[in-house]
Amino acid sequence: MGSSETFENELTQLLPRLRRFAFSLSRNGADADDLAQATIERALRSRGQWEPGSRLDSWLYRIMRNLWIDTARARGRKEKHEAPEEEAQFVGEDPRESMDASLELKRAMAAMNRLPDEQREIVALILVEGFGYREVSEMLDLPIGTVSSRLVRGRTALLEMLGGSADG
Amino acid sequence: MVEEEKFFAWLDGELSPDEAARVEAAVAADPELSKMAAEHRSMAAGLRGAFGAVEAQPVPERLQAMLKGDGKVASLTDARSRRQARLAQPFWVQAAALAATLAIGVFAGSQLGGGQGSPIHPRDGKLVAAAGLEQALSTQLASAPANTGPRIGLTYRDTSGAICRTFEDRAASGLACREGGDWRIRSLFQGAEGQAADYRMASGGDPQLMEAVDASIDGEPFDAAQEKAAMERGWR
Repeated sequence: MGSSETFENELTQLLPRLRRFAFSLSRNGADADDLAQATIERALRSRGQWEPGSRLDSWLYRIMRNLWIDTARARGRKEKHEAPEEEAQFVGEDPRESMDASLELKRAMAAMNRLPDEQREIVALILVEGFGYREVSEMLDLPIGTVSSRLVRGRTALLEMLGGSADG
Repeated sequence: MVEEEKFFAWLDGELSPDEAARVEAAVAADPELSKMAAEHRSMAAGLRGAFGAVEAQPVPERLQAMLKGDGKVASLTDARSRRQARLAQPFWVQAAALAATLAIGVFAGSQLGGGQGSPIHPRDGKLVAAAGLEQALSTQLASAPANTGPRIGLTYRDTSGAICRTFEDRAASGLACREGGDWRIRSLFQGAEGQAADYRMASGGDPQLMEAVDASIDGEPFDAAQEKAAMERGWR
């Protein structure tokens, strides 16, 4: 059980960071925690595919990103037919998060939400999570030039939405 | 003149020392670029600060519990909090759940018309598990799932004292409770398909199934040891 306990301990330690990534991808806190939960479930089921010694964080981020992209795609299809898109203003309407979601977090989530998916994931991984261009290009199987150009577009749009001065 | 992507690569510390020095000098000499660098640094810092608040929050219990390995197969606590958070669910998830309810009759009807292999049979006016489903309910431990056929989820004792088990396969999920020598079907829901599967998985099972469990359970679900002991006692 030794290695399995290590896996779970390491995963537990990474939970705060995984949640942060989930929040930067998702429309609201409830979706973010569902994504985090689905990621843990998938990770526990597929733990045999993780190579001990390689970076567990990159492996988990990749799982989360793939689950999120599947969800986002399916939702895009569904909502075209069935329901109006929920906007990021829904952030904070969940009573569980109104306590702790700061205004800044709501603003940041709303702005991230308006980015196209392919820019949002790269902005989140590089500007928020602190991965390097090369790491992200490997994680997402994208050429580094694609990572770089999407990052430029995403952060430029964000600057317009959020402003660049300290008082916003 | 600094190319845009190179400017940002410099800002992110992605350039070699030589290149970085060249861009740095060009930026220092250009008030426009200096301002842009300051704005982008500030914006990125604000973003890190905003999402940093999430990292600093305590991790919700339902996520931590998944890694504690307490032997429970699905999280009922989660199903309960999930139900309370129902209003926060996207509209279409609720719509999908409703559609699944409406599909029960269709599914049950088609299976009941089937032959020997039908997993559900009428007996004395009740629906009971048969064939592979009966076998799974009687012999499968959730801690040792079969590779094919129905998978067992939760096992628990209901408020009438009967042992109940949730099951799931590709076509359907449901709840069966021990009555006499039979597994009587209490609930049946159309199986997970496509997108809805992610949401079901995220809540530890079909939300409606979890609600059916929640409505009938006495106490907590069995852990792996209790489940094994119950099987050895013949599910009494």
